[in-house]
Amino acid sequence: MESSSRQIQKVLNDGAQRLLVRASDSRSLAREQLAPRISAAVDKYLLRDDPQISEAEIAKFIDELQADDLCLIIACERGDENAWNDLVERFTATVRSAARSASSNEDAAEDLAQSIWAELYGLRTRKDGTPASKLAYYSGRGSLAGWLRAVVGQLAVDTFRKQSRLVQTEEDTDLDRLAHDASVGEVFAGIPNPEESMSNRFAQADMQQALNKAVQELAAEDRLLVKLYYFDDLRLREAGAVLGVHEATASRRLTRIQTDLRKRVTKILIDERGWTQTETEKSFAEVAQHLDIAQI
Amino acid sequence: MKQETNNEVDLLLRRLGRRPETSIFDGNGDVEHLDADELSAYAENVVPAAARARYTEHLAECTRCRELIVQLSSSAGVVPFVETVKPLAPSALRKFLASLFTPMVLRYAVPALGLILVAAIGLFVLRQKKNEDASIAQNVETQKSTSITTTNSPQPEAQPSTAFDSPAENSAGKPGQSSVALANQPAAAAPNAPTIAGDTADASRGAAAKKEEAQPVVTEARARAPPKPATTSDESKRPAEAEARRETSQERLANEPRVQNTVDVAKAEDRKAAEVEIAKARSDAEAASKAQTFSGIASVKPGAASRSRAQRDDDAVEKDKNDDGETRTVAGRKFRKQGDSWIDTAYSSVRVTTNLTRGSEQYRALIADEPGIKTIADQLNGEVVVVWKGRAYRIR
Repeated sequence: MESSSRQIQKVLNDGAQRLLVRASDSRSLAREQLAPRISAAVDKYLLRDDPQISEAEIAKFIDELQADDLCLIIACERGDENAWNDLVERFTATVRSAARSASSNEDAAEDLAQSIWAELYGLRTRKDGTPASKLAYYSGRGSLAGWLRAVVGQLAVDTFRKQSRLVQTEEDTDLDRLAHDASVGEVFAGIPNPEESMSNRFAQADMQQALNKAVQELAAEDRLLVKLYYFDDLRLREAGAVLGVHEATASRRLTRIQTDLRKRVTKILIDERGWTQTETEKSFAEVAQHLDIAQI
Repeated sequence: MKQETNNEVDLLLRRLGRRPETSIFDGNGDVEHLDADELSAYAENVVPAAARARYTEHLAECTRCRELIVQLSSSAGVVPFVETVKPLAPSALRKFLASLFTPMVLRYAVPALGLILVAAIGLFVLRQKKNEDASIAQNVETQKSTSITTTNSPQPEAQPSTAFDSPAENSAGKPGQSSVALANQPAAAAPNAPTIAGDTADASRGAAAKKEEAQPVVTEARARAPPKPATTSDESKRPAEAEARRETSQERLANEPRVQNTVDVAKAEDRKAAEVEIAKARSDAEAASKAQTFSGIASVKPGAASRSRAQRDDDAVEKDKNDDGETRTVAGRKFRKQGDSWIDTAYSSVRVTTNLTRGSEQYRALIADEPGIKTIADQLNGEVVVVWKGRAYRIR
């Protein structure tokens, strides 16, 4: 075990040395100053999911880190003024842009940007008296610009979500509320037809619950696509960008998922609710007809 | 671009998406969200696979992190990859068929095949045309044979004679020329129609149209051909051998049972082949005959040949001792008296006979070529039927 740790440490040290050589400006950093940060990144992205990962995979991971960005951040963390100047000079525009995107107005954006720089500089101090700089969380896996945007976004989202909880908006339509009630055992009244039989309403409530369950059974990638497209109301191009695929690929996946969900819903209704195949098909058609009319 | 499919699941999912999502992480302060580093790495698609699956699982259920990742993904500018559907491995037949239409094949092999095809078609057409000509000639010959047979049966003497000793026939023996000789035969039967070697079809048609007139014919070629004396020693050797062959051929012809009354083309062809062979022998014999005529010039070696020639000379000037009014021998030919006619004993009624009249132009042309016939015609009065070099002449 110890030998294994020693081997990993050697891989980390060697990787840190290579990274310093690879960086165009190593900021006069030593291998020992870099190794702990690299070790944390390896733990976070590799060893947590696969403790037995090979040394070669670790070395490959280290060699793919953003050498210049990581050296810049570590130098800033260590109080290198030149590094700070470089960081501010190079990324002020990035931080401002991200703040504008996440804010409703220019003043809010400016406030957000200033907050970000304060967070980065570490004006706050930890319990042990060290500056609580967010710079310590940059691993160098992604780009520094992307990380800065993520930091800005996180701060903005957390701020706005806190505000939004105070003003709970009512977004559900009456039908949605009824449908939600049906999901907890009450009658599903999604069809605005007063003459519709009670049995039909129950049937449609069963179907909606079965669909909800089927979505939860999907693989994580497919479920994320369904959430992005149907719940977050993204376009296929945007949803594809999150998944790292082209929108055409996202479209094909979505079609496959729809087919898969239909089979799953049918199976759930037959196995758990005792429906027949004919009843399932008929209910699908009726629901589709009523929902189509409701959307018009 | 929203997918505008109108299937049931799509509609149900849209309805499901309109419901407020109850995230299992909302309001739970203990939940570990993705930090900025993980979000940016995920948006830039640089997270190792195992960690990415874990983050995806979280993102599928966490509206907060999903909101962030959507923002980061839109600004990250990551080049998305397109999943390509792996094509099925082509079958061997498909590969073979595909190989037939490769650019290289289309560029070289197809034009080459086209040329070969054109050449083959051209060859086929030429062969067919040749066959048509040959079949026309054969048909005409068949018709002629039929007509001749029909005509000959009641009146064998009315048959048109056949010019056999044309120069073209002298060189016969080659397969291609036998058909020429075949076609020339009816051409000779046409009155006043010169025999033109090779012009078989026209000559055959002319013969078919006019054969019943049965007028005497002498070919123009024959009329133009001057007698050629044998001036060389090699040629002088030939008469004896040629004479011997001629005798043999004539005897064979005389003894050969004639079954030419049938219209069988194959038999006609066989007969032609035999006649061509005979004609070759006759051409040699002709040279021998000429050598006899100009015996003063030719130097003939003593021997059997000279004795044979001396015997013939004697026969030419003397009447047969057995002159009983029935049989006479003139110029080496035996003639039998039948009524007012002297008939060559070698003559057969089925033999094609050329009718001539003494003093006519055709007769003069014939005797110019064949002085021996003149001797016979002068020696014998009245109608004379003589077989000379395989051909029969009726001289009135």
